[in-house]
Amino acid sequence: MKRNVAIISVGYNGRFVSKRPDVNIPELIEPAVTNALGKTKLKPDDIQAYVVGNMHTFEGVNGPHLWASDHFNGSGKPVMRVATGGTTGASVFQAAYYHVASGMYDVVMAIGWEKQDEGDSQVGLVGIVLPEAFTLFQFGPEMNTERGGVGGLGGGGSTGGASYQAMSYLSRAHAGIEHIDRIAALMRSNAAKNPYAHLQQPGCTEADIAKTPIITYPLRFGHTCPTSCGAVAMILVSESKAKKFGLTDRVAWVKGLGSGTSDPTTGNFVEGQITDPAEQHMCKVVAKKVYTMAGIKDPTKEIQVAEVYSGFSHQDLMWPERLGLVKEGKSPEMLDKGAFAIGGEMPINPSGGVTSTNAIGASAMVRVSEAALQVMGLAEGGHQIPMKVENAVAHGWGGLFQFVTVTLVGRTPVKS
Amino acid sequence: MANETRIMESPWDLTTYSWKVEADALNLFVKGLKDKKILGRKCTKCGTVYVPGTSYCRKCLIDIDQVVEVRPEGTLDAFTVNVSDIRGNPVEHPFITCTVKFDGSESLVMGTLEGWQDWHDVREGMRIKVVFKDVTTGALADLAYFQLI
Repeated sequence: MKRNVAIISVGYNGRFVSKRPDVNIPELIEPAVTNALGKTKLKPDDIQAYVVGNMHTFEGVNGPHLWASDHFNGSGKPVMRVATGGTTGASVFQAAYYHVASGMYDVVMAIGWEKQDEGDSQVGLVGIVLPEAFTLFQFGPEMNTERGGVGGLGGGGSTGGASYQAMSYLSRAHAGIEHIDRIAALMRSNAAKNPYAHLQQPGCTEADIAKTPIITYPLRFGHTCPTSCGAVAMILVSESKAKKFGLTDRVAWVKGLGSGTSDPTTGNFVEGQITDPAEQHMCKVVAKKVYTMAGIKDPTKEIQVAEVYSGFSHQDLMWPERLGLVKEGKSPEMLDKGAFAIGGEMPINPSGGVTSTNAIGASAMVRVSEAALQVMGLAEGGHQIPMKVENAVAHGWGGLFQFVTVTLVGRTPVKS
Repeated sequence: MANETRIMESPWDLTTYSWKVEADALNLFVKGLKDKKILGRKCTKCGTVYVPGTSYCRKCLIDIDQVVEVRPEGTLDAFTVNVSDIRGNPVEHPFITCTVKFDGSESLVMGTLEGWQDWHDVREGMRIKVVFKDVTTGALADLAYFQLI
């Protein structure tokens, strides 16, 4: 029988930025670990096991945990590294949850990070599709990059891939590029209220975003995430330990979680792609499962805030719909009436989201840590939403558009 | 004394890797292109048609070998307007790359879209037909582009 698990502490390494040549990976992680421990009475030796993770190959280091472990006091303890692409952070968190829920451990730390200035993220991304791309090359595709061809299909890197999803979403929601501009501006101005966010643009407007150049329509430079360096650490404990520590007040309980996979979409030419990238059926399936687990009947009323994983701004409109927080196709309308703002009826990404801060291996865990901070009432710098947060949902996304994770945290544990 | 640190840089040679990748679907596809046909495979259990034709059904997880020809017409699914080339340099004339669904098939095929004046007028769901190169050689490039009908 699974046990209830509480998040008792969240630590960041500091403000996420694009370059940290002054530190290496263990040095980047260490302040996050120290900050997470510092908010509790726990000593490093109290942590029984670690689950850690970052995106594979982005730094060109295949097993960074091998040489980072002793820097976070992992020596002599179980250390498990999880790497699942964009969803890494959420998978790390969920694996840490299983460590505790299973009864194996009582106090576990989850750490997610990325240090993107050490490598080339686009090269890392290419590594994912390289076998398929090379196969395609052997079958003589059109090579004229000026007029479509391979260059056109691959142009814009991950933005190019996401633009098909963006166009499909806009078509389904009867929305326009101005809605993407508007949500992007909201995220950047939210980020300005989050001291840990990377791209902080106080009072950023739709017009500011609309000034940035198109990469591949409908996605502009202003709609894309930055490449950030940063780390997040979280401490998870069992219900009995939480009581023993006297920590039942300012904690976030993990009430439901799940993950799902559909077939790889966008450019999956070799295998015959059958799913539209804006469909995201598995997000709906997983969300429903998670809400049932958490005893939530009406997510639109019982969930107060969401942190969604959006590498590109159109996704900040798409995910709330797929997560059942907004009716399908209604996100643009909700945005226009201010519902997604920090003081709105369904705030989306008060932290500024992934389009403002993206340290890949940390990003999906930051969604959970930010949801937890909202539940605890501890979000700093003015990005705590004014409503009392009973439940918050955190979402992760990755792979070739097909992996999704959903985690629900709340103020009161589910009765077992 | 301050600790000495050094920055180390090095290239990464991706050409040293070798992979086994299933090329069966593309083999069939380019074979058809040479004869100006669009070939795929159909699952005998659920009836799903895949173009390019995979060797297994995604839904039923069984091997499939029934080859089917689909008409070289279909509908526009998603698309994007490219304003720069693969290196980020602006192109003189923006071009559209898209995914299309051939009639009777469930899978999406990528390519270039032609036959439009103003890209603002292009909409998902528009009808398209395949335009082959005059001389086909049995390569993906034989499928020149998709033309709006």
